[in-house]
Amino acid sequence: MKGTHLGEFEELVLLTVGSLYEAAYGVAIMDEIIKQTNRGVNISAVHAVLQRLEKKGLVKSEMGGATAERGGRRKRYFHLTRAGKKALDDSMELRMQLYKSIPDLSFKFSST
Amino acid sequence: MNPMPPKWADKFLRWFCNPALLEDIQGDAYELYDRRLEIYGKVGADRRFIWDVIRFFRWSNVKRSKSKYQTNQIPMFKNYLKVGFRNLRKNWVTSAINVSGLALAVGCAITVFMFIDHQLNMDTFHSNYDRIYQVINHVKQDGDVQKWGDSPFLLGPLMTENHSEVKRMARIEYQSGNVRFADKVFNETVVFTDPDYMRIFDFPLLDGDRFAMDQKEQIVISYNYAVKYFGTEDPVGKRMSVKYSNGVIQSYFVGAVLDEFPVNISFGFNIMAPMQNFLDLKLKENYDWSQFADATFIELHPNQDPTAVASSLRPYIELQNATDSKWPIETFELWPLADLSVRNHEISGAVSGGGHPAGRIALSVIAILLLTLACFNYMNLAVAAATKRLKEIGLRKVLGSARAGIIKQFLIENVVLCLFALILGVVLCYSLLMPGFNMLIPVVIPFAFSSFQVAFLFFAALLLVIGIASGAYPAFYISKFQPVHIFRGSQKFGGKNIFSRILLTFQFIIAFTTVIGSFVFTDNAIYLKERDWGYEKANLLSIPVGENAVYNKLRDKALQNADIESIAGAEGHIARSGRLTTMEHLENQYTAMSYAVGFDYLETMNIRLKNGRFFERSKPSDLTESMIISEALAKKYGFTEPVGETIKYDSVNYRVIGVVEDFFYNDFYSDNHPVFFTMAPEADYKYAAIQAAPGTVMDVDAYLKEAWLEISPNDPYNRLHQNDAFLQFYNDNESNIILISSVSVFAIILSSIGLFGLLTFNITKRLKEFGIRKALGAGKMNIIRLANKEYVWILTLSFIIGAPFGYLLIQQLINEIYTDPQQPGAWPFIIAILIMAITIVITVSGQVLKASRVNPAQILRNE
Repeated sequence: MKGTHLGEFEELVLLTVGSLYEAAYGVAIMDEIIKQTNRGVNISAVHAVLQRLEKKGLVKSEMGGATAERGGRRKRYFHLTRAGKKALDDSMELRMQLYKSIPDLSFKFSST
Repeated sequence: MNPMPPKWADKFLRWFCNPALLEDIQGDAYELYDRRLEIYGKVGADRRFIWDVIRFFRWSNVKRSKSKYQTNQIPMFKNYLKVGFRNLRKNWVTSAINVSGLALAVGCAITVFMFIDHQLNMDTFHSNYDRIYQVINHVKQDGDVQKWGDSPFLLGPLMTENHSEVKRMARIEYQSGNVRFADKVFNETVVFTDPDYMRIFDFPLLDGDRFAMDQKEQIVISYNYAVKYFGTEDPVGKRMSVKYSNGVIQSYFVGAVLDEFPVNISFGFNIMAPMQNFLDLKLKENYDWSQFADATFIELHPNQDPTAVASSLRPYIELQNATDSKWPIETFELWPLADLSVRNHEISGAVSGGGHPAGRIALSVIAILLLTLACFNYMNLAVAAATKRLKEIGLRKVLGSARAGIIKQFLIENVVLCLFALILGVVLCYSLLMPGFNMLIPVVIPFAFSSFQVAFLFFAALLLVIGIASGAYPAFYISKFQPVHIFRGSQKFGGKNIFSRILLTFQFIIAFTTVIGSFVFTDNAIYLKERDWGYEKANLLSIPVGENAVYNKLRDKALQNADIESIAGAEGHIARSGRLTTMEHLENQYTAMSYAVGFDYLETMNIRLKNGRFFERSKPSDLTESMIISEALAKKYGFTEPVGETIKYDSVNYRVIGVVEDFFYNDFYSDNHPVFFTMAPEADYKYAAIQAAPGTVMDVDAYLKEAWLEISPNDPYNRLHQNDAFLQFYNDNESNIILISSVSVFAIILSSIGLFGLLTFNITKRLKEFGIRKALGAGKMNIIRLANKEYVWILTLSFIIGAPFGYLLIQQLINEIYTDPQQPGAWPFIIAILIMAITIVITVSGQVLKASRVNPAQILRNE
């Protein structure tokens, strides 16, 4: 089960990797998450999650070309694998299913 | 050039980070750094970079192995342990004695370490520990400079007055007094001190007011004395009186009771009274610079330099030298409290106790020696045991173990085994060695370390040293072998192992050394025990009488008892109280012990007359101008005809009327100077010497004790059997004998273990050879001789080296501690050889018999 379950932050990172498409590397992912969610994220946390996702086979990575801005160091670009896409689909589906099953009543209740 | 992130953080990142992840992680960190430079500036960016690095320092990023292959050490480690335990089980007899031998040595080492640790950490419970000093004087005497704990009486108050660095001071002044509460009277040493004593030192308080001595009439007593005088009563507020040597009686209230003294105390007093009372005693009209207090303690303000303070005391030296030419002080020195108990042997008149460093050094040497013996056993047996494990090593190597792996295996096995020994050693120390050791020494050493760090470091070091010292040789030696040679059977090893033999020889040298040493020492101790003191001491009693009136009453009582052969008065008493002084004849000045005695004293004490006569009542001039000297003194002056010579003492000329045989007034540790007797007028009598008829001394003692209540109820009946005069010495001597014999027993045990282990392995290895020899017709005796041959040589060699060595060593020691030892004869050697021979035969015989009884059919069957 551990292999398929996605934590909240893992899902967030996975989604961001998907959305950034070709430009998903550590700092960019962090920036995007901060921009979208407005919460403080440390780069090391992003790295840890990316490592974990890669181990689970949900993302793949490869080194990009050298750049000038990081002391000549290459970036590691991540992209979704088929399994990653499926994991996202599954979790979206699960959410929608649950979402739809909420009775109208409770919406009314919470909005008042 | 762009600003760079802090170098150390970057370095740290590179050091811990898994190389596969490094570029990526470092790249991101740098990118963020560059971006933050613009927002937060260099300082802010640096700080955030450091934070990132710290956050990156997590398990998933840490580099875990240098090698490209993921190796797992834990199963190997488990395997080492398992194989190690199997080997232990296989040779469990030798392993068990080996471990217990090591445990014995470790136990001794722990005991010794605790002893030394305790001795070097005395008095640490005082919170001003590092700011308390004692004033030590260097005094020129007899041509050389001596260090004295006594210091000028006037110095202390001047120091607090004139030297701003000195916060407080407290002088110590001993006075003997008869202390009384209700019907309890004992002779005690009363300590007069300045009230600040209780502020400088933190002796724990049981009851009352810590600063009670601020009031002149209040005293502080120890827990022991509270029990001694008051039993279960509450002492605080009770009145005690003290009668001092000049007859003055002072009475005080108990103001405070100290709690039981901490175990690491080097000095603490039982009765303390404010110094003002000492002045009131008026032992002298006024106290000038020639008066010395027994000690002066000072407390400095924080962060003061004691040497500077000491040199600022220089002006007082002149004052003192001008008043007292006999004891000219050269320099003052301030000794920190920490030094007082450690170096107390250097000072005369030291207040604080503490062992002599010779004891600490000797014990450390012994402990290290025993550990060495045990480690040698270990090495020998490990090498021998490894011969059986050659195939295992070969197989490990074939299966891919590197040499480092084999080394690691052997060392781990050893350290684990040593851990057993260590635990066993702690148990041994706690249950046996430490209590035994405490019985031998006058103080009690607690089973404790001065601090946790010390304990931890000690045990870690011990484990590492014995584990690696004993395991290193086999580990490094055996791991070198090539599997090819091992399996082909051409690895020659262990058969004629020179190294093992050298170790065994060394062990037995040590064993012989200690055994012979212990017998020479014991021999000397027995000789001292039976030694003639120079007079018949068995029926003698002495009682301090304080004053002449008491003596007269005592004499009257004594005359009524038919068992009392004679009674005599004296100012001093042999082995109790004499005066070390100098005397002159012509130009020659000598140091001698002097006793001023009454008529009949020498006869009563059974002193043996050599020449001339004793003091006689019929010659009243004896009282003022006659002197009796000892043979040694006559010899020192070179008198051929001593009687009639003139000797000047205390600026009076005396005529020598008699010479007595030399006798011991001091125990055999101490110097016995030449002696002379002069006469004391009756008014000066301080002691009564009593000779009882043979066999009645106990009855006489009881009779006098009874009579004493009538004679002088205010003074204690403080009699001494002359027989017991050197009791302390004999007790010490006995302890020394036990200590040194235990050491030699330990040494014998350890070396026998070594011999046994090695023999067992060698015989087991040669069983086949013996079998073949038997099959070919060798007899039992033949086999026994073969099995023993090499050991006989080793033992002979050890004896030839060890015996003279032990003899010389112990002779040195004896000359060091006794002033007049005897020269040992052949007995110690004969006994030592016998003991060693018996031990060796017992050790060896079982194994050798086993060898001689081999049944060739069984041994050779499975070839």
